[in-house]
Amino acid sequence: MTPSRWAERAALPVAVAGTLLVIAVVFYYPVATVFSEAVVDAGRLTLDPLLSVLGDPFYTGVAHHLFVDPAGVPAGVLAWVDAGAPSVGGGLFGFTAYQAALSMLASVALGLPGAYILARYDFRGRETVRSLTIVPFVLPSILVAVGFLAMFGRTGALNGLLGAVGLGPVEVVFSLEAIVIAHAFYNAPLVIRLVATAWESVDRRQVESARAMGASPLRAFLDVVVPVIRPALLTAALLTFVFTFLSFPIVLALGGLELATVEVWVYARVQALDLSEAATLATLETLVSLVLMYLYLRYEGRQRATTGGGRPLPRRPLTTGWATLRSPVRLALAGYGVVAAVVFLGPLVSLLLESVTAPDGSLTTAYYEFLLAQQASTAAGTARPLPAVLNSLVYGAGTLLLAVPMGVVVAVVATRGGRGSRLAEAVLSAPLAVSGIVVGLGLLQTVVFGTVLFGYRLTAAGPVAVVCAHAAAAYPFVTRNVAPALGGLDSRYHDAARSLGASRLRALLDVELRLVAAAVLAGAAFAFAISVGEFDSTVLLAEGTDSYTMPVALERYVGNRSLGPNLGPATAMGTVLLAVTGLSFVAIDRLGGRWEP
Amino acid sequence: MRRRTFLRAAGAGSLAALAGCAATPAGDGTTRVSRETIDGTPSGTLRVATYESFTGEGAAGTYLKSAFEEEYPGVTVEFTTPSNGVNQYIQRKQSDASVDADLYVGVNTDELVRADGQLEEPLFMRSRDVLDRADAVKSDLEIDPEGRAVPYDTGYISLVYDESAIEAPETFDDLLDPTYEDALITQNAQQSDPGQAFLLWTIDAKGEDGYLDYWESLVDNGVTILDDWQPAYNAYTNEEAPMVVSYSTDQVFYGADADLTRHQVGFIEDQGYANPETMARFADTDRPALARLFMDFVLQPDHQGQVAERNVQFPAVTDAQLDETFSELAQEPPEAVTFTYDQLQGNVDEWTEAWARRVVGS
Repeated sequence: MTPSRWAERAALPVAVAGTLLVIAVVFYYPVATVFSEAVVDAGRLTLDPLLSVLGDPFYTGVAHHLFVDPAGVPAGVLAWVDAGAPSVGGGLFGFTAYQAALSMLASVALGLPGAYILARYDFRGRETVRSLTIVPFVLPSILVAVGFLAMFGRTGALNGLLGAVGLGPVEVVFSLEAIVIAHAFYNAPLVIRLVATAWESVDRRQVESARAMGASPLRAFLDVVVPVIRPALLTAALLTFVFTFLSFPIVLALGGLELATVEVWVYARVQALDLSEAATLATLETLVSLVLMYLYLRYEGRQRATTGGGRPLPRRPLTTGWATLRSPVRLALAGYGVVAAVVFLGPLVSLLLESVTAPDGSLTTAYYEFLLAQQASTAAGTARPLPAVLNSLVYGAGTLLLAVPMGVVVAVVATRGGRGSRLAEAVLSAPLAVSGIVVGLGLLQTVVFGTVLFGYRLTAAGPVAVVCAHAAAAYPFVTRNVAPALGGLDSRYHDAARSLGASRLRALLDVELRLVAAAVLAGAAFAFAISVGEFDSTVLLAEGTDSYTMPVALERYVGNRSLGPNLGPATAMGTVLLAVTGLSFVAIDRLGGRWEP
Repeated sequence: MRRRTFLRAAGAGSLAALAGCAATPAGDGTTRVSRETIDGTPSGTLRVATYESFTGEGAAGTYLKSAFEEEYPGVTVEFTTPSNGVNQYIQRKQSDASVDADLYVGVNTDELVRADGQLEEPLFMRSRDVLDRADAVKSDLEIDPEGRAVPYDTGYISLVYDESAIEAPETFDDLLDPTYEDALITQNAQQSDPGQAFLLWTIDAKGEDGYLDYWESLVDNGVTILDDWQPAYNAYTNEEAPMVVSYSTDQVFYGADADLTRHQVGFIEDQGYANPETMARFADTDRPALARLFMDFVLQPDHQGQVAERNVQFPAVTDAQLDETFSELAQEPPEAVTFTYDQLQGNVDEWTEAWARRVVGS
């Protein structure tokens, strides 16, 4: 065997090992040290913290009976039915799951029509709109709160508009509705991007042959299109649930403490250094998410839908002149466009306006001058905007380059590995399901403070550590984009390549990945977005103000009172963040698009 | 061959540098110089741990750094701003990692309580009895009976309200009146300093046995509890409510010429809750004398004036040199209340958690 041939054979196992090493160092080990606080007390295993949380009605509501007095549950249920089945409380976990379920439904409702338009209609700027859909994903919560107050607040733009036509006012903020809409703002882009990518991979020939064999358009849609988009839709819905289940700052910024989630308690317990209870709560959060993820992946593994290789469905023009007004579908889509404009563009445009509006309502450029002054400052501890922009781009690119191979490797293992591979994927998806607060705490205790090995205290920080941490957080997105597409690929492509003498690596790189290029590209865009938006581990691992990223600099400007107690400087930096990431997403899609077959 | 070995070693070294990896022998040397005074000219690097907004362009820390370095040319002041504040150092001690700083600027009373509760060994050393300027510090701001944490400024938590919309409530019970329905925005005491100060103020007023019921009524009357001061103040600015829990120095930000209708300061029960900010030397520092010098420097009348104005807080000493406009606009409450170290010890976490559970449960 030639050396290059040997290298090709070894490449995949080496990539798997490398992936495992990275996530072990910057994710599993740090997180395990925190989670161990939940089950280890003074060096001994214990279930006490777990049982005390599960048995506390504040946390688990009516379900606490299961853990306090399991024998009494049947009698309790009978008594409850006797009493006419009054509504019962679900505790903090119950409420957290409830708001996550509502947020998931809202994100799907808001995302699905968007995916349909992007996949099936043609209009000017479609590619750009598609690239920009992930922008909300990177926005720090404090800015989402600013944008939402300016848009939906009592004196916000929406009430201004409604008032002008004699309606309203509506009270949206500081309610469950506000939280759900904000979660949809963050997560509907996930639905749009994942589903649109899947929809575009539907093979036109399959629809055409179904129709040729006499299937109605609806039948062809149900039999051919739905099986292809279902895994993407369910994946997006699942991810939305998992993220909003772990939601933290936005809940209190737009809702209030009465609408607190479990994560608010995790944060408070960590602040109080009650790490045992924090770890217990976080462990339970992660268990809920991972069980859901595993159940879903088992389901996905049983699905068979063939994708890739064919030509996509033709797109229809979105507008057809005056005839548009006679098309009920297009009118419905126009209605959707209005809703999407209010929910997505509303807060973003409000944010841009806030960045040029003084507290008295007049136009100002003071906040951008503030950014220039920060850039020119030599004072110690100043977070300068330009290095922050560059660092974000460098870390983002680094993350993309590291997370895409990692994610693809895990996707290959998950779709090819036989028994237990779905369980492996669920376990490897853990970075999605672990509280950011816990990851930060774990990194602090192991990587920043150092770990003693052979008498030496090993520490790590700086750009490479940041990129590794970002990649660990980002690669599951790549996997979740690529695995369904790879799993749906007709195995004959792979078999044909192998029988022609291609190594497994060559077959993967030259044949399979090319066929699912759109999914790889979507995963890459998400990896970049995760890196740019990441805050918790960046602020720990970045060394000094020179290695700050845009969100970290922005956080510094939030606390800066040199222009008075307002968020103007932060909104100006937020505008820079939006512009830089927006351009990056367009560039990623344009550059990556060349690689698509 | 030797050249290759060298290259490989150099390569590994630069890779480690790029990765920011470091390996140092575990268990640091314990022989420390413990002198309280400096013979000769002060020199060396002083590592000051603090919160982020203390540093940066125009901030109090930046002023102190340049003034201190100007006075003592042999000294360099370095700031480090860990994102989790004092907890970073408590956790470092717990993990046997080195503290890597000489003093902390910005310790709150509850953090001092937490440090002592979490650690067997002290995190901070005594300073008050070795400071030349200790007697200038206002006695009602002293929060540490052991004299480790020395106040350098204080804020008074109060209401900021819109006088065109509402009259200031005179008592805590007034806040339960229908007049004040949906009128108040405050902050989560689990996350926010002013939020916790406001909670402690209600505990002072209503007692340990009465504050939870009081808060339940307050929640029924539509109080909004947001995560932190900045979002709460921003919501107030956006006219979501006519009152917000904030600081009594609010008008300083706007100046005497501005329209101050929406920046009226209300002292409930003619009180304000004092939240002194303190500084303390780490017990592990090997430069205790230099750190002491810095603390005395911060307490000088002129520097106290600068720190107060730049932090928009009140000075901690009786003889601070303050700008006249600042004194006119910054309002001090007729009576200041605050919980001391002894009162908070063993209580503050329980009080806060019980409060949060009641708010979520109601």
